[in-house]
Amino acid sequence: MAVVTAAARVLGSSRGLGQDGLLLLRRLGVRGLAISHPQRQQQRFSSLDDKPQFPGASAEFIDKLEFIQPNVISGIPIYRVMDRQGQIINPSEDPNLPQEKVLKFYKSMTLLNTMDRILYESQRQGRISFYMTNYGEEGTHVGSAAALDNTDLVFGQYREAGVLMYRDYPLELFMAQCYGNVSDLGKGRQMPVHYGCKERHFVTISSPLATQIPQGEDAHPGPAVGAAYAAKRANANRVVICYFGEGAASEGDAHAGFNFAATLECPIIFFCRNNGYAISTPTSEQYRGDGIAARGPGYGIMSIRVDGNDVFAVYNATKEARRRAVAENQPFLIEAMTYRIGHHSTSDDSSAYRSVDEVNYWDKQDHPISRLRHYLQSRGWWDDEQEKDWRKQSRKKVMEAFEQAERKPKPNFSLLFSDVYQEMPAQLRKQQESLARHLQTYGEHYPLDHFEK
Amino acid sequence: MAVAAAIACRLLRLRAAGAGGHWRRLRGAGLPRGFLQPASAGEDAAQWRRVAHFTFQPDPEPLEYVIFGEDVAFGGVFRCTVGLRDKYGKDRVFNTPLCEQGIVGFGIGIAVTGATAIAEIQFADYIFPAFDQIVNEAAKYRYRSGDLFNCGSLTIRAPWGCVGHGAVYHSQSPEAFFAHCPGIKVVVPRSPFQAKGLLLSCIEDKNPCIFFEPKILYRAAVEQVPVEPYNIPLSQAEVIQEGSDVTLVAWGTQVHVIREVASMAQEKLGVSCEVIDLRTIIPWDVDTVCKSVIKTGRLLVSHEAPLTGGFASEISSTVQEECFLNLEAPISRVCGYDTPFPHVFEPFYIPDKWKCYDALRKMINY
Repeated sequence: MAVVTAAARVLGSSRGLGQDGLLLLRRLGVRGLAISHPQRQQQRFSSLDDKPQFPGASAEFIDKLEFIQPNVISGIPIYRVMDRQGQIINPSEDPNLPQEKVLKFYKSMTLLNTMDRILYESQRQGRISFYMTNYGEEGTHVGSAAALDNTDLVFGQYREAGVLMYRDYPLELFMAQCYGNVSDLGKGRQMPVHYGCKERHFVTISSPLATQIPQGEDAHPGPAVGAAYAAKRANANRVVICYFGEGAASEGDAHAGFNFAATLECPIIFFCRNNGYAISTPTSEQYRGDGIAARGPGYGIMSIRVDGNDVFAVYNATKEARRRAVAENQPFLIEAMTYRIGHHSTSDDSSAYRSVDEVNYWDKQDHPISRLRHYLQSRGWWDDEQEKDWRKQSRKKVMEAFEQAERKPKPNFSLLFSDVYQEMPAQLRKQQESLARHLQTYGEHYPLDHFEK
Repeated sequence: MAVAAAIACRLLRLRAAGAGGHWRRLRGAGLPRGFLQPASAGEDAAQWRRVAHFTFQPDPEPLEYVIFGEDVAFGGVFRCTVGLRDKYGKDRVFNTPLCEQGIVGFGIGIAVTGATAIAEIQFADYIFPAFDQIVNEAAKYRYRSGDLFNCGSLTIRAPWGCVGHGAVYHSQSPEAFFAHCPGIKVVVPRSPFQAKGLLLSCIEDKNPCIFFEPKILYRAAVEQVPVEPYNIPLSQAEVIQEGSDVTLVAWGTQVHVIREVASMAQEKLGVSCEVIDLRTIIPWDVDTVCKSVIKTGRLLVSHEAPLTGGFASEISSTVQEECFLNLEAPISRVCGYDTPFPHVFEPFYIPDKWKCYDALRKMINY
């Protein structure tokens, strides 16, 4: 009886069971047999009935004092398709994707990896001001991106460049944003890695990433939920996906996002990259419960935990979540377990808080790129020769884009002032004019040569 | 325009006037101090208790606008949304969980997709959990994305200002916190007619706007308001009374106070005051205020919010920069004290007409 009622409650009236349906289920006994309760007809409240009447919960009474023990020893299991050597464990879970698609997975991940290496180096050489790598998490980006439609709206945190890579965002534009040059769609306004692309439905990354910001956390699921609600109203058959790390999940905004998504029945996928660290803070200091996946049911959200380094597991879970989120207008929570192999950013040296051995383990023994490569090789779709060629080719492509980006000037300084509002207010125009006048006299003290005239 | 004009804001119950032409009479309980002259008494008295009423007008694109917040579905704690859910459906008029950061964040998301979101914060005093969303997200959305994305179709509404018994957490005027934030607009109406035009402008404006509604005026104000939509431009102050000796600037409820002060000054001191309703706090209409001060040579700014860092400081600073040589006396600010808003001490706390009158007198005799 409790199970049936609970199921009805979860499914709820919005998913096909009206109030009458719920009352009918209440009348049925545990085995679905009709039990006559003459005093309990259509009335919703009755003082004769000993069952709980509280509006706030659908549950039975219990007369034994017992606290629920949070289960963190054996938490929610981790779904995977491939083992660490890239071999399919359960053939019925193999998505059986065509060669072309799996090669695209591989090339996206490796091209991202190559770009990361080169841009990280360029920061070290003082060519760009800042960078964040995606080492070890490429599987989470590409597996999920591949499972979405191209028009699904993406709200990222800052370590999801692989999603853009999979959507064929050109290297030129990655570089342009990092350099803040005249080709940057963001008009040079933000630090590197704050990509955005309207055409590819990737909302501009927000918030400063400098390590001294105490808030540190950048993910704002609220807007993602609102966008999902609007997509639902528009019958767009679109899902919104919102990426965030396990650290960002501690923010109040995450709680708000989950709760709103559930109560307002939004077609949204909450994708948590649990990579073990929020800058230097390990997960043991970030939460005490069973990770992020365990929070989902608390909000009434369908949840799953997956092996984030298994690109097929990520793909399968995201694909199914997408299908159901759109069909059923409800949120899904995917917690992708992974590991942040790189430092938090170029401002961080992670040897200060974790051992090199730990990092090496993940780099060598459980890397999404190597696991996929083993899979490809075992299918005969890839070999060492192709690997060598591809590495050379991708490096060449990245270097070309890089050199070109470096040569371009920054946008004209007057772009400092536009887009604050849709139209420029009079006071701001005065400020813009005053800077122009100031530069006429003091221009030599400013790096005007690097900026477009 | 029909789409944009889909929202009509009625601060009070609409009643057909006489034979019911296209003008409707709005009635409400007059405040003891009678801020606004009550319209003729003909209508049934039972109607006058209804407070702010917010309605969508029928429009050809009904799917676009949504309004939401705590308790919005049943009509709202100030009855601003009464009847809307029945009329427009539960997917357009709905409750959210009790979470201001969620309400604003959610509203931003709707606006990012291009739909129009009207987010209600139950009291301006509770807007602070949403401060990060407003300042770091909404205000910067367009700028940081190089105009790829924006949340211009977001409007946040919140009841604002003192109400006689609101005390610490139901009386605040937080406009100054937001004045410091480029990228949003902040608007405060002084009357029903102003409220409808300004709110419609906020909703149609392509930038995120915060619309603070003086809660004491939900009941107090009585005014003729056209049924059709109309706009009052943002960032335009209004000179509601011309004068030659002193410029008085305020917004919201306080406009009525300074209007009374202007009468007192005329009567007792023979002083002619120019009364300005600022209407939009940011971006504010510097030109109208400065033009007035150049003419009069004296400026008094008044607001309920605390003195230090209040918006009068910004006005004061700009005016002394632009009109220094025109000033006959130091600029006067008559504001709330630098305390939280007290309960029983409210009559002593507020910048009432006596304090404004006294400050004006000192300026004249400077």
